[in-house]
Amino acid sequence: MSPPVDRRMIELANVQRTFKRGDGTTVQAISDVSLTVPEGEFVCMIGTSGCGKSTLLSMVAGLLEPSDGSIVVDGREIDGPGRERGMVFQKDSVFPWMRVIDNVEYGLKCRGVPASERRAIARTYLQRVGLAHVETAWPRELSGGMLKRVAIATVFANGGKVLMLDEPFGALDYVTRHQLQDVLLDLWDETGGKAARRTILFVTHDVDEALSLADRILVFGTGRLVDDLRVDAPRPRDTDSLLQPDMVAIKHRLLGHLGLERPTGRAVARGTAA
Amino acid sequence: MTALTRHRDRWISLGVFLVLALIWQVLSVVYTAEAQPGEPMVAGWQVLFTHTLLSLSDYWPGGWGVPAVSEGAPRSYLAAVLSIVVHSADTIGRLAAGMALGGFAGLLLGLAMSWSRWTRRLVDLPIQFLRTLPLLAMVPLFQLWFGTDYMGEVMFVAYGIGVIVFAGTVNAVRNIPPIYLDNARALGASQTMLYRSVILPAIFPAMRSVILLSLGAGWGAVLGAEYLGAQSGLGYIIVYAQQFAFLDRMFLVALLFILYTSVSYWGISRLSARMLAWAPPAQRQ
Amino acid sequence: MTPVADSLRPRLRSHRLRAGLRSAWIALDPLRLFGVVLFVGVWQLCTLMLPPIILPTPWGVVSRLSADFWSAPALSYYGVSEANLYGNLLYTAENVVIAVAIGAAIGILSGLLSARFALFRAVVDPVMMTAGTVPILIAAPFLLIWFGVGRASAVCLVIFYVAVILYVFAGRAARNLDPIYEQSARTLGATSRRMVRDILIPATVPEILGGLRIALAGAWGLEAISELLGAQSGMGKVLEVLAGATDPQGIMATLLVLGLTAIVADGLMALAVARIAQWSAPGR
Repeated sequence: MSPPVDRRMIELANVQRTFKRGDGTTVQAISDVSLTVPEGEFVCMIGTSGCGKSTLLSMVAGLLEPSDGSIVVDGREIDGPGRERGMVFQKDSVFPWMRVIDNVEYGLKCRGVPASERRAIARTYLQRVGLAHVETAWPRELSGGMLKRVAIATVFANGGKVLMLDEPFGALDYVTRHQLQDVLLDLWDETGGKAARRTILFVTHDVDEALSLADRILVFGTGRLVDDLRVDAPRPRDTDSLLQPDMVAIKHRLLGHLGLERPTGRAVARGTAA
Repeated sequence: MTALTRHRDRWISLGVFLVLALIWQVLSVVYTAEAQPGEPMVAGWQVLFTHTLLSLSDYWPGGWGVPAVSEGAPRSYLAAVLSIVVHSADTIGRLAAGMALGGFAGLLLGLAMSWSRWTRRLVDLPIQFLRTLPLLAMVPLFQLWFGTDYMGEVMFVAYGIGVIVFAGTVNAVRNIPPIYLDNARALGASQTMLYRSVILPAIFPAMRSVILLSLGAGWGAVLGAEYLGAQSGLGYIIVYAQQFAFLDRMFLVALLFILYTSVSYWGISRLSARMLAWAPPAQRQ
Repeated sequence: MTPVADSLRPRLRSHRLRAGLRSAWIALDPLRLFGVVLFVGVWQLCTLMLPPIILPTPWGVVSRLSADFWSAPALSYYGVSEANLYGNLLYTAENVVIAVAIGAAIGILSGLLSARFALFRAVVDPVMMTAGTVPILIAAPFLLIWFGVGRASAVCLVIFYVAVILYVFAGRAARNLDPIYEQSARTLGATSRRMVRDILIPATVPEILGGLRIALAGAWGLEAISELLGAQSGMGKVLEVLAGATDPQGIMATLLVLGLTAIVADGLMALAVARIAQWSAPGR
């Protein structure tokens, strides 16, 4: 399977980011990252903690400004957050003071979509994440996995072309995490086929999660892009497809990058084969 | 917040107080209206620490070889300082006695009533009622019962603090994580052992805020009691001076009172913070 | 479409119903009610040992209350402009409500601003914190000289008190607000005005209302003592007159009325908090 459309959605050129610490020293979180993501691609970003992948995501979201370089999304240089770029956070970001449906509607409300229209849109997405039955519940009544579903429904309902997810399922249990991966892929692959797919940047530290979701995996290490791998396995990917030789090769290579595998001859050989 | 901005904010705080003092000073020079002949409405520092301070010797009751102004002696700085010391000692003494009495009684009663869930429920409604009764409105009742001098003030402060400490203790015991109690019981602790080794230490962090709360209530209570009918103390001087519109004297005594309350807060919170060094930071606040 | 999994069943079980049942249970708990009976019983027992000039009987206080509530001619004899408890209660309550409203507005606004602007906080914090440590009562005699005997000085005193408390509560609530909500709202396209209206205000409301409850509870006593120091009417004035006449029965009846009013006001406030802050944890 080749990349579906070649329109460039996200373009990063020589992006850098430094932080100033309390004691006055500066830390280079991102040093010179350049990359291009075509429209509709599902990109997973992986790396050890502190490698800068979340910082990069925050910059694309517009919550952080790059110290240097440019970020262009959909042909325009970004300036702060924008509704064409949705974000699902690692922590629970669902507003506890709004009912579930009002949360899903919130982005549309900010855009001035009429009440009846936005309610219909919100209902559709709540249904698609399997939460139609808790429409009027308060967030405190929901479990962690359900809150993530609400957050996902919210960004999809808001209609952004780029969706960013920052380790969204990191705090969830094994079963829930897999259910939510299915939910996410299901929404991404929504009606309209490949042409209507959103572009997704998905930060994770889970190698298997990246393998089962991504078209492309970007590996980060100490503020740099260290590897860029294509995953061409067809979807839906099940346990067996993760056991295919080329998938296993990618997995070895990823584990090597994360420092979890000594680069023995076998792993390297397979890695280069991929 | 970084150390840098904290440092900056401390300077700003200091600056704010200096600016306020400066405004007051400028006002005292510009606005020279007098509440009484020779008693300016806005007393600048040049007046406060000369004329006003001297006039406080009017409140010196005499003794220790320093004659009282009311007996015909001239005003003197010695008498003024002595009167400040004596009246401050009266106010602080009433507060301390009331706090000790009320705090001790409240703590003991609170622990006794926390013995079981039954006793806790028994005292729940009456204690809620007593806590909601406006404390400061009860001054006349206590003065009727215990007199307008020492006893009345002390009992009033003791009551105010006793109610707060009692309710705070019951609440603190109720909020002890049950796992501590279960753990101690599982290890075979008796009820008295439980009190000594688990309940008392466990309520300590919560009691810190109760102590600070009752300190505030105590200062308010002693001031309120002295406003209404006491014959000595800082509150008495303020309210007595108010009847003659001696604004400068009121101001000086009020400054003194602010100093005492601030120092007492600072001292108690430092002390309790040190005693709570073992507790996790969240519980210390 | 993903199937609805087990984990998707909401943990609803009707919180509101349970909270309602629980408060009803607390109110009707026989042991708690017996506590009240015991309290009155001990009081009655004490009256057997003490002269009525020190401690009146509970029944005496209640009957005095019902007699004086609508008409107490003796009060006008002592120079109180309203010759009943009802009118004086109304005067006091009016002052409290006005003062709490104004003080709350000042306190909440400055508290929220202090959480937003570090410089504002640095300037206002020392003044507010000093005012929070020192009993506001210290200002009462000054206010009496500046504004004279009347509503203004009492209301002013209570405004100070309420403003300081709400400054602390609002500031803390806004500072404790998890920045994730604002980030999330920004990525969803919220403008800064929306951010204040949809994030800052609703998120801080429960804690602010909690502060308002505390401020209201303290306001009654402060208002009363301000009236005790100098006023023409109000519950404090009544107390002053009755204290002058050495009438403990009247004092206790007046205190009972004031206390019951404070309790009812607090109850109404608690109801309002429960309604407005429905989204936060039930009960507490």
